[in-house]
Amino acid sequence: MTDSIVPVKEIEEKMETDKMWIIMGPQHPFSHGLWTLKIKVDGEIVVDADPIVGYLHRGWEKETENRTYPKIIPMADRLCYAASMTYTHLYCMTVEKALGIDIPEKAKYIRIVADEVCRINSHLMWLAAVGTDLGNLTVFLWAMREREYFLDLNVKLCGARMTTNYPRIGGVRNDLTELFERDVIRTVDRFEKALWDIIALMDDSSIIVSRMKGISYISREQCANIGMTGPAMRGCGVDFDIRRDDPYDNYDKVDFEVPVLTAGDSYARYMIRIEEMFQSCDIIRQAVQKIQALGKNAPYRIKTPTKVPAGTHFMRMEDPRGESLMYLVSDGTDKPYRLKVRSPIFTNVSTSKVMCQGCRIADVPAILAQIDMCLGETDR
Amino acid sequence: MTIKYLDKYPKNLAKSLWVLKPQWTVLKLFAKTVVHRPVTVLYPYEKEWVPENYRGRPGLIFDKCVGCGMCARMCPTACIKLVDAEDDNGKTVKRPQVNLGRCAMCGYCAEYCPVDAMTVTPEYELAEFTRFDLIYGPRRLNYEGTTEGMKVKLEVTLPSDIENGNPERRVSLFDLDRPELIDSKCIGCKKCAKVCPVNAIEMVEKGVNEKTGKPILRPVIDNGKCICCSNCVDDCPKDALEIKEVL
Amino acid sequence: MSVVVEYTSILDFIGFNSYSLMDNQYYPFLDEYNLPYAISYGLWKIIGGTIAWLINLIFPGNPVSEWLMGDGASTLFALIIFMLIIFIVVFVCTLISLWMERKCLGRMMDRRGTMIGMKGFLQCVADGLKTFMKENTIPGKVDRMTYMWTVSLVIGVSVLVACMIPLSGRWFVVNYDTGLLIVMAFFALAPFFILVSGWAQNNKYSLVGGMRAAQLMISYEVPMLIMIATTALLAGSFNIGDIVYAQNDNVWYFIPQIVGFITFFFCATAESERLPFDIAEAEAELVEGWQTEYAGMKWGLIMLADYFRGYVACAMVTIMYLGGWTLPIIGDGPIPEIVFLLKTWFVFFLMILVRAALARVRPDQILNIGWKVFMPLSVVNLAIVLLLKVGGVF
Repeated sequence: MTDSIVPVKEIEEKMETDKMWIIMGPQHPFSHGLWTLKIKVDGEIVVDADPIVGYLHRGWEKETENRTYPKIIPMADRLCYAASMTYTHLYCMTVEKALGIDIPEKAKYIRIVADEVCRINSHLMWLAAVGTDLGNLTVFLWAMREREYFLDLNVKLCGARMTTNYPRIGGVRNDLTELFERDVIRTVDRFEKALWDIIALMDDSSIIVSRMKGISYISREQCANIGMTGPAMRGCGVDFDIRRDDPYDNYDKVDFEVPVLTAGDSYARYMIRIEEMFQSCDIIRQAVQKIQALGKNAPYRIKTPTKVPAGTHFMRMEDPRGESLMYLVSDGTDKPYRLKVRSPIFTNVSTSKVMCQGCRIADVPAILAQIDMCLGETDR
Repeated sequence: MTIKYLDKYPKNLAKSLWVLKPQWTVLKLFAKTVVHRPVTVLYPYEKEWVPENYRGRPGLIFDKCVGCGMCARMCPTACIKLVDAEDDNGKTVKRPQVNLGRCAMCGYCAEYCPVDAMTVTPEYELAEFTRFDLIYGPRRLNYEGTTEGMKVKLEVTLPSDIENGNPERRVSLFDLDRPELIDSKCIGCKKCAKVCPVNAIEMVEKGVNEKTGKPILRPVIDNGKCICCSNCVDDCPKDALEIKEVL
Repeated sequence: MSVVVEYTSILDFIGFNSYSLMDNQYYPFLDEYNLPYAISYGLWKIIGGTIAWLINLIFPGNPVSEWLMGDGASTLFALIIFMLIIFIVVFVCTLISLWMERKCLGRMMDRRGTMIGMKGFLQCVADGLKTFMKENTIPGKVDRMTYMWTVSLVIGVSVLVACMIPLSGRWFVVNYDTGLLIVMAFFALAPFFILVSGWAQNNKYSLVGGMRAAQLMISYEVPMLIMIATTALLAGSFNIGDIVYAQNDNVWYFIPQIVGFITFFFCATAESERLPFDIAEAEAELVEGWQTEYAGMKWGLIMLADYFRGYVACAMVTIMYLGGWTLPIIGDGPIPEIVFLLKTWFVFFLMILVRAALARVRPDQILNIGWKVFMPLSVVNLAIVLLLKVGGVF
């Protein structure tokens, strides 16, 4: 008798519906940029996911080898449209480290202000993307409206909205323009109030919270094994922020908290980023105070040699999306021999398989919005 | 500082009736925008204020330009080319021509121009029907109403000045660096004197060649005139000139 | 029969048979007065009378003129004009709600919405023209017949149900005793065609979208019907007019059935596939859901049908809970149609507000909401109504 009973598992296997691959992308409303996510679905449930990147590869690293050092700065802007300032900053820091020079205090604080404005910028863009991916267009437009004020700050600071081209090797392009300190403080104050409105739209809506809470869990160990960095990592319970733990450019002289949550789900990643925006506002206020204390005529840019001594150097920084790193090999000429970029998203997107397994098709955009995709830096 | 958001959230949503607060928030903004105007700027009819240093297309002050080619050298997209143009006296001079189809609006040309002839302009509506129309010749690059802020100044401080405790800003990077002659390499070909855009190089006799009996010519650089465009360094056939950087 | 010589002037033809609407032996509405029919009958009297007079001028004493003004022909042509009037009114109401959505949503999102002509109203017309002028493409491997027929049925059923909504006691198409049930039955037909259409399109997104439409339907349909039964129980009739006048006699039903009002409102939002519940066409994950392979004119008509359904959903809420075309003290009033439409647009405004404030739910969540929230709430609503009914309040 017992032999005739078919094991339950076998029945389940026989009853299983046909699994099918759905190829989302490269032109798809959820993929913010050109990339493809292949998902294998069993009914509505995703059983496998496979990200494909590389549609936007333009040979950035190779191109830099034919350019003198200052000419790479506008190129570094184009790595990521949302966080152009941080990449330029990172590149300049790498070259400064290779040159072994120390830049003026004022430049460091200006860079901090510019960086944090850029971080808020980038996070607002992510918030807008989360809004549309969850199906609420109002969040998208409100976040984009707030972002516009920060883009206006960028215009005021350096004359361009997105491709800022602002940091320079040895300092920054120009001094703070007239009344910039006043404007940045006003914008930040205004933004904090407006952000609470957006939070009321997101966190006080049980639909949005239930769409994000408890899905796409990643444990601390998995997170470390994959190499996930940035707010996504801090949402998984890893207490690590390069701004605090390996400070660059006077980040050790400003006071801020690093938010960490241990939930490891999509909602935790969301909350970390929102809190980071508030912390960025604090950092901006402190840095502006420090700049004002330094006085108007303090130096902000020093002259640097055109040729970089031979050697290898790397520098890392806390990008809005994670840990970005540049590795510079110079051979003593005025052009780099090799410049390698470590993009945080390139590693973060490889978690999509872990995150998407077991969730539903409707969750896929909501989960992948938390990676904060930017293809310019992923494919380089 | 203080944690602002994580203290308050996540909160019990049953207390705020699950979905009621978002509706209220949206309704508040609706009432506000019905009374006042929405934030939208109706672009073709209204335009945003742009600051003086806004980086639109490059501009050129024709008479100020010396044709040194610094803009072409620094351009990261190689969209600037020096072309022959006629100045007001009918003389043929070299002036930059910008292909705006390739221009990345980085502002390097204005920043590195040693005589502040290249500027940034607040013009950003640059659409044309053909690619040929996008190529701006030296005269077309002229921008009416150039102000002082558009001539991006490159103010630097020397590291040695900071060490000396006198951190003053120098207005240009280039009034310090000078080309220097390595005498043993020079063959006296006069090429550097020919390419110098400001005629800062003069060929001076430094004696007579014993074998041929011809005079030995060596370039002498007039520090007052030199703008450090490094044209002479680039064109020297024997690499006898090199820029000496002051740091 | 009548003598031809009498009818020589045009006024004789227009005033033929002394213009009797109700005395016409083919009058289609029994003993009820119908405003749009009266308008169309009068219109036909003018148009047809003119034609008949013109023919009579050329061929004096012909039978065609007489036939044109007879009872049968007048009813026939009046019915055709009647259909046109009903459709145009519903169409314009839908366009107005579409315009309202664009403007209100714009203001809620801190932008301006459409701005082309008449405060943006003509944008709807421009969009319609644009979709009509597009090329009619059919993808290669679709099941052509099903592909075309399902979309026609979705649109047709939506237009039909929108036309069947009475605007007042004198503005209706048919006045059934089971009017509410018939409207709901037609209203619930579209998801079946969406399901079939999803299969027919040979596209994975539309397949998932079609399946979701079915999933969506089984979650809200049952509580919705319970609430319709509750309202009918309270009013003692399924006739729409009776329900409205029962509310006018007592109180508007959203006061005793506040639970039911809120639940029915969300169910109606789901029925018309609007934002919190538009999982069948969730554009974030399924490109355009079941409409992915429809382009050009077909897509435009589907969007129009969506708004027809939104209009119907709001009209149902108005009829069942907000007193239809009556006002508390005035009752019917001079123009009950306008009162009804204003109420409908107010409900639509609430729908826009919900759309602006909330996000899309997940397909498994809508099942949860349907069966674990809406279903108990509708039963609670039924219990309250039963108590009131037994207690003798109504």
